[in-house]
Amino acid sequence: MNKTLLANIDDPRSADLDFYEQNGGYESLRKALPMDPGVIIENVKNANLRGRGGAGFPTGMKWTFASGDPKFPKYLVCNADEGEPGTFKDRPILEKNPHILIEGMAISAHALKSDYGYIYLRGEYPDARVILEQAIDQAYEKKYLGDNVMGSGKKFHLSVHVGAGAYICGEETALIESLEGKKGQPRLKPPFPVSVGAWGLPTIVNNVETLSNLPLLIRIGPEQYAAIGSPECPGPKLYSVSGHVERPGVLELPMGTSLKEIIYEHCGGIKGGKTLKAVIPGGISTPVLPHDKIDCPMDFVNMPKHGSMLGSGAVIVMDESVCMVKVCLRAIKFFEHESCGKCTPCKDGTGWLRRILARIEQGEGHKDDIDLLVSIAGNIAGKTFCPLGDGTASVVQNFVKHFRAEFESHITGRGCPF
Amino acid sequence: MIKVTINGKEIELEQPETILKAARKAGIKIPTLCHHDWLKMYGGCRLCLVEIEKMPRLQPACSFLVSDGMVVTTESEQISAVRRGVLEFILINHPLDCPFCDKAGECELQDAVYIYGPSSGRFKEQKIKHPENNTDPLLARNMERCIACTRCVRMCEDVQGAYAIAMTNRGDRTLMEPFSGNRFDCEYCGNCLTVCPVGSILSRPSKSSYRPWQMDANIATVCSYCGVGCLLNLQVRDESIKKVIPVEDAALRSSFERFGPGVAEKNTEKNLYENSVENRKSLNRGLLCALGRFGHEYVDSRERLTSPMVRKNGKLVETSWDEALDFVALKLNEIKNSSGGSALAGIASPRCTNEDNYIFQKFMRGVLGTNNIDSTARLGFAGAQAYLENLMGQGITANPISDLEDADVIFVVGGDPTIATPVLGLNIRAAAAKGAKIITLGRAAGLGRSKPKEITANLFTENKVLERLLALLFSKKEMTGELPAFEEKLKAAAAAPPAEKTTEVTGVTEAEMAEISEIVASAESFAVVIGSDIVQRAAGHCGLFCLAGISYLASGRIFLLSDRPNEQGLIDMGCLPDRLPGGQSLAIDGFRKKYEEISGLTAPPDKGLTLFPMLKAISEGEIKGLYVMGENPALNLPNWPAGDTRKSKIKSLELLVVQDIFPTETSAMADVVLPALSWAEREGTYTNLEHRIQVLRRAVKNMTYGRDDWRIIAEISSRMGTAMKFSSPADIMAEIVRVSPVHRDLRYPDIEKGTMLCRPYKGQPSKSQAGGVVHGEGFKDLIKTCDRPGGSLDDKKSMHRDFVLLLERSLFYSGVTSRKTPALSRIRPDAAVLRMHPEDAAPGLVEGGRVRVSSPSSEETLELETVFDSSVPRGAVKIPEYLEDLGVGALSLITNLPVDPVTKAPAFEECRVTVEAV
Repeated sequence: MNKTLLANIDDPRSADLDFYEQNGGYESLRKALPMDPGVIIENVKNANLRGRGGAGFPTGMKWTFASGDPKFPKYLVCNADEGEPGTFKDRPILEKNPHILIEGMAISAHALKSDYGYIYLRGEYPDARVILEQAIDQAYEKKYLGDNVMGSGKKFHLSVHVGAGAYICGEETALIESLEGKKGQPRLKPPFPVSVGAWGLPTIVNNVETLSNLPLLIRIGPEQYAAIGSPECPGPKLYSVSGHVERPGVLELPMGTSLKEIIYEHCGGIKGGKTLKAVIPGGISTPVLPHDKIDCPMDFVNMPKHGSMLGSGAVIVMDESVCMVKVCLRAIKFFEHESCGKCTPCKDGTGWLRRILARIEQGEGHKDDIDLLVSIAGNIAGKTFCPLGDGTASVVQNFVKHFRAEFESHITGRGCPF
Repeated sequence: MIKVTINGKEIELEQPETILKAARKAGIKIPTLCHHDWLKMYGGCRLCLVEIEKMPRLQPACSFLVSDGMVVTTESEQISAVRRGVLEFILINHPLDCPFCDKAGECELQDAVYIYGPSSGRFKEQKIKHPENNTDPLLARNMERCIACTRCVRMCEDVQGAYAIAMTNRGDRTLMEPFSGNRFDCEYCGNCLTVCPVGSILSRPSKSSYRPWQMDANIATVCSYCGVGCLLNLQVRDESIKKVIPVEDAALRSSFERFGPGVAEKNTEKNLYENSVENRKSLNRGLLCALGRFGHEYVDSRERLTSPMVRKNGKLVETSWDEALDFVALKLNEIKNSSGGSALAGIASPRCTNEDNYIFQKFMRGVLGTNNIDSTARLGFAGAQAYLENLMGQGITANPISDLEDADVIFVVGGDPTIATPVLGLNIRAAAAKGAKIITLGRAAGLGRSKPKEITANLFTENKVLERLLALLFSKKEMTGELPAFEEKLKAAAAAPPAEKTTEVTGVTEAEMAEISEIVASAESFAVVIGSDIVQRAAGHCGLFCLAGISYLASGRIFLLSDRPNEQGLIDMGCLPDRLPGGQSLAIDGFRKKYEEISGLTAPPDKGLTLFPMLKAISEGEIKGLYVMGENPALNLPNWPAGDTRKSKIKSLELLVVQDIFPTETSAMADVVLPALSWAEREGTYTNLEHRIQVLRRAVKNMTYGRDDWRIIAEISSRMGTAMKFSSPADIMAEIVRVSPVHRDLRYPDIEKGTMLCRPYKGQPSKSQAGGVVHGEGFKDLIKTCDRPGGSLDDKKSMHRDFVLLLERSLFYSGVTSRKTPALSRIRPDAAVLRMHPEDAAPGLVEGGRVRVSSPSSEETLELETVFDSSVPRGAVKIPEYLEDLGVGALSLITNLPVDPVTKAPAFEECRVTVEAV
């Protein structure tokens, strides 16, 4: 398959507007501007584009809700707060191919009748900020942004807003709070951002990768687009692979490529010829899969059938040398640190889990601790304000489910066997 | 119609509500912690999660709206487990220090755990520690106990509008902090205390002193500070007020916070709850201010007057009541017999009850034979109200404070309502939060967050601005014909000078005036809030005329701010030189005859002196005897006649009687000092600025030899040969309702029921009274004075070589009782400073340097530290109204203020002082 999202990113000029234009850049925007906004939304629906941020919500449906709201202005927000451990798929777009995102946002803004857009960028991507702002300046110069986009009369202004490093701001309502200048904490839903979002106005929040799919979708049309990868959720997909593989990195593959194929064919297999122990397939909050359960198509529909989720497509590969208790502890430490403090189960539960896991890892575990962990996780799961708590619970539940023996050996052996 | 089923019970609702509210209607209790009825929805604690049919996840009842056909279960095995789990999570980091936590016994977490919590804990790790922070003088923060419900923050931001605190950090390190990290430095309303469900925010004055169940009594009464008259609950133990909480808070706690699972609310308790919500809507809505909440310690002060005192050989010495009262009766008789009643005068008190003030004026008129009766209400409120009523009809200022919240345009003139009347100020902030436009003319920093349209006029040119606004509005609005005489005068007044001239004088552009008049003209519900600054002018009544006109043209309501608890009451009781109780003019014989008939005494027919002519008459020796009840004029008034020194006897006075609860600057000069009772020790009624009459209840026993103000006067009266046979305030009220037409048919039980007893007390709030207006006497004269409403200000452009003295009011300090309240003194910001514009500083004067302030008319001088502040108008200096550190009021410098010819209020723009570097 030809790369589109990551096309030409090995070329040093890839972030430059001229280079992007020479390779057919902004042609899709030119094609989209005369189109009726409703038709574009129909195309997105027909293409069955699903949000790439992790939840896989049908983009066309979100757009239909937003365009149905009579309030204006509407805000289009690109969620570039890529903060989940293991996830770095958006980074090459932001740093190497920023114009595909800008073009995608301009097309989306036309479809959504939105005049103002923001790129909410994670604070830890300082280079991306510089690159994006340069790209935006270039796009303004060439009238791809501004009061009269490509002479069509369409207005679209875009700017970058840098977050302050909170994972929770990847959740769209917390992102909006942060964008408004407040502490990043999720809001009550309903109302959903598509009707009451930033500053009380309709706001559409889409992931970097989702928006970057628009130029391709417009160029080849919904039928051809829908033919790429898995039929239920087609299109190209970025997988960010890290851990014990020979060739880690970001891959652009058709949606639904099998996890096994990704690891063994595209990434050259396990590093140093060791054996695989476990894979976290979609970022740290998705359930871990043991080595014998990785023959599964990596898409939104099939992964749940195999006991995990696609998430952001962040594949973390762990070989036989890795202590699963330590991985679990490390993950929970992350969630404890990132819990925003709004709701009780996540606020207090994650810290409790971490303290128990730390004890087990240090060899001070008690035989009842494993059941306690599962019970605490159960008291968190489904009870929290936002999905952060569910992610926390699922990490503990799945590590214990698949690797209970390792937990037990930490307790009986009074320490880490690795 | 929406039908929902909760626990098998079908409920029909008119419109979507939260599951929690719907369940309450059906008498089903769902436990909550972060939810509070007065605050925005939050959904954080997760204690109220319920099952909804066909929904995979549990949903929070506090914030999930019902929809038609929804089937909800609030009690099940699963939900019980969830509640146990949530409470277990809260308790892991919550210190289990209930045995010494002040909140134990009224802690919502304790209650919730008692009913829903796990019976044992599984937590074996280290709890997170946060040492208690006691750096603030009034509020202690114990963040170990904080459950991060954010109720305090939501109260502070969304209701109080102060934005003084925030939740900081994340996860289980989340805690509330004021922005300094230490002291709160806020408005100290303490409303965060009201909503904190646990013992995280505590009042330091009452901390570690008692437990809730150790209280002897909870007494619902009225606040003693400003004219709003908030309802308070005094928590009393051992004859001492330990803590003040809002009445509604107490009602809420006792009614619905303490139920078992699924228990239907009992009827009585439900009524209590609903009643409390009604109260909340109608007056202070469960909110208090710093003075109301923390300003009660003076009752217990050791400085209280404990015994009568009579001046002997130049010194005040303690005597028996009999001796003191006989002495007063004797001296008063002497003066009356030798010089006549007109040589006697009385100053009544806006801090005393209606009954005290009624007896006071009855004594002055009927026994001493004088109409020389006035009070500090003359500083603005009394004259302004009389003038407005004369123009527009009696009761024109009797508008419910809660109406402010529904106004869409509010014009605030002449003072900061968030300082003079803090809880009324909250109504304005609430209106702004709902989208109302606020326009300010004059100082109103407390409304800064309500995005006011500020009219910044040159110093003392407000009347010119108002005159122009009136003219512009006149051209935009049709007159209704409701008040023909007033309309005639409006027509004349609307022929205002050309715009350029106004702009030249005021510094306000015509475009700005046009914009503001357009906002007012397009208002659907307009309100004018008038503070005393605009009244205290040489032509103050002219500004009032314009405001009356603006309000009339825009169909507005007028709110006259009052910073004393019973200014309205003392006016209603006839403590005025020209009016009998009920606002009846003394000049109308029929009124006087009726008054004499019912009271059984004779009232002199001629008008008495208003306050400032009265002070002048004292200086000039025309008045020989002055009776002061519950007031400290030597501190609170300009133009006070000087003795040899500030604390010596005034030579021209043969007798000065002071009735008070503290020794004051005035009592130091007195011949006789009589100890009275404090607000918490007596009964009676107060009338607030919206004319609501409310009952004051006795909360503590008097520990001094003090007596009720009215009893002292009745005693003197009988010693002078006129018996006053009253046994209680209710007795006095029985006579008041016969004398005063506005109090007709009112009885104590009516007042005690008391939610909406506004004047006319048996009917609707009386804006409509304006329709049937009967103009008071002298209406024609009043209008004549205002033929040019801008007054003589044309000539006032040039400033004197000296500075104009502006007095700064503090939110934490109101004059007398607040001075004797340590809690308030501790939060009072730096006191003895003078603020001036940096460009006004004389050569050699540096910031922080000391200056001497003097006035040509007084020998007094003040030495103060300078602070440069570019918000002070050029040519003016600002000094706090009370300089406690120096033991003086800034007004003691001022001895020669002229008064407005109509309202007789002092002209504060004539406060001229000289400022020299020391």
